[in-house]
Amino acid sequence: MEFPNHHRQIVEDLISGKFILPTERTYTVLKENEQSYTYFFKASFNYELKITQDFAYLVSDESNEMLSRDVCIFIALLSYELDRDGKNFLERIQFSEFEVEEIENYFTNSSYIDLILSNKQLRDTDSRKNFLNTLNRRNIIEKTADNRFVFTSAHKFFMDFAADIVKYENVEKE
Amino acid sequence: MKAEPRTILRFLLEYFDIIIELYETQTKDGVITRELLNEITIKHNIDIKVQLIDYKILSSVNDNYEIRTVYYNLVEFILSEFKPMLPETIEKFHVSISELFRKIKENINGDKVILNQRLAELANEIRTFYEMVEKNTISLLNETRELKANVKKIDYREKIVRASRWIDEYIIPLNKILDINHSSSIANKLYDISEYTNRYRLSCDEESSRTLFEKLYFQLIQVNDNLLRQSKILTTELLPLIERIRTESIILTGWITFLKNPYKQKVPRMPEGRRMHIYSKNTFFNAAEIFEQFKNDVDVYFDDEVNVEEKWIFDKEYFTKKLRSNLPVNDFFKWCSKTLKEEYKKVEIEKFFALTTLAFDEDIERDFGTKPESDKIKINDLTLTVPKITINKHGIS
Repeated sequence: MEFPNHHRQIVEDLISGKFILPTERTYTVLKENEQSYTYFFKASFNYELKITQDFAYLVSDESNEMLSRDVCIFIALLSYELDRDGKNFLERIQFSEFEVEEIENYFTNSSYIDLILSNKQLRDTDSRKNFLNTLNRRNIIEKTADNRFVFTSAHKFFMDFAADIVKYENVEKE
Repeated sequence: MKAEPRTILRFLLEYFDIIIELYETQTKDGVITRELLNEITIKHNIDIKVQLIDYKILSSVNDNYEIRTVYYNLVEFILSEFKPMLPETIEKFHVSISELFRKIKENINGDKVILNQRLAELANEIRTFYEMVEKNTISLLNETRELKANVKKIDYREKIVRASRWIDEYIIPLNKILDINHSSSIANKLYDISEYTNRYRLSCDEESSRTLFEKLYFQLIQVNDNLLRQSKILTTELLPLIERIRTESIILTGWITFLKNPYKQKVPRMPEGRRMHIYSKNTFFNAAEIFEQFKNDVDVYFDDEVNVEEKWIFDKEYFTKKLRSNLPVNDFFKWCSKTLKEEYKKVEIEKFFALTTLAFDEDIERDFGTKPESDKIKINDLTLTVPKITINKHGIS
């Protein structure tokens, strides 16, 4: 039985909860073999493979709700604070590099300080540092230096969620 | 009273601040009330109401006033402050331009005076049409940039509504009007007219008509170029800009809603990170490490699994009592064997040995007889050779 190139890397990355990005060669292999991989992950692990134009990932019944919620809170707070600072938050998150110090400034001076302090992964500098490492492992951000990072296209996974909140809210109102 | 044109222009220049204020009031409220006109003139400390009416700058509507269209357009043009027009207003040019063009084509060999008049009218309509499009693009760009900067601190939801309205009601329909590839667009019609005039600017018999065709043709070249530019502004600058405002506002509104109650909202399903390194780079070494542990080990055999019964505990007190009640006991080991058989269905050797420990009780008086005697006792498959011991007394009994 023959497997496509980078098969091992694809399985390892997806199983460990990473988003695979279009900039990675594994994404091209996944996309080219979408049907077989969808079947492979379903039959082997009962996982659903999702491939969008910005990322690929696995969904299972054992989804990590806590991490997902913390990432949502992190991006929501950052978007809010960037906007409040007069920055174009979508463009900044999509195209610019962030310094950890900048994130620290936003979080320590945020009006959502109660929410931040009550969150284990975001409450202080050390927790946030660890949290950024988690995001880096999951391919949601990419560290460009020890204290710098950029968001990867996987951030759209969470932006889509935010947009859906308004859509569903409007549907409910209708 | 018919005023001198220069007097009117001088008046406009002298009181331009008041005119602008009136213009802004009308733009905002649609009309200038009598009270507001009084207020403005009092504020500027001059009463020019009579001149405003006499010079036909204002016209009265019931008890209120309106700036006449010609002056309104003039101020609007000078200030470059256009309000976006609904594309339906612009769309009407499609009818007038098409109609004039149809009549020109049908009567190309007819009355030259009427033909020239129609050509002049067509040129006029095209000019007005283009000016309207240009005004609309400028106004939409201004409005969009203002929305982007959000100087008026508009709520995010209101931003979504405005951005959606401009996209759906103004930009997309306007773009359709300017889309040259769309057969029923005005731009497409102008392209047809341009081709037609190009032919007749050379072949028309009448010189005056030829000149008009020539003029119209060059006007159309310029208008088509300009329309293309306007269309590009709409599709490459305005539409993405406003689409971005809409997306941004939707996302930010979503996040703000989420942050109101982040622990009660459903969150997107994110993959659970599993450490199942089936294909790990270290698999070989991990496996080797495990197997190495067993490399030099001796063989281990496991007994068949037996049903674990409840552990038997020797009740010394109970059996001591029993022994005392049977005293004197002639042959202690036989008594042990007999007692156990009475008590249990199955007698294990461990029970036997446990019971024989009573013989070592300090309170027991043992008699081994004068001559040592031995006896054989069978416990299950085991036959034991045991001495004969007589117990006569226990403690002070």
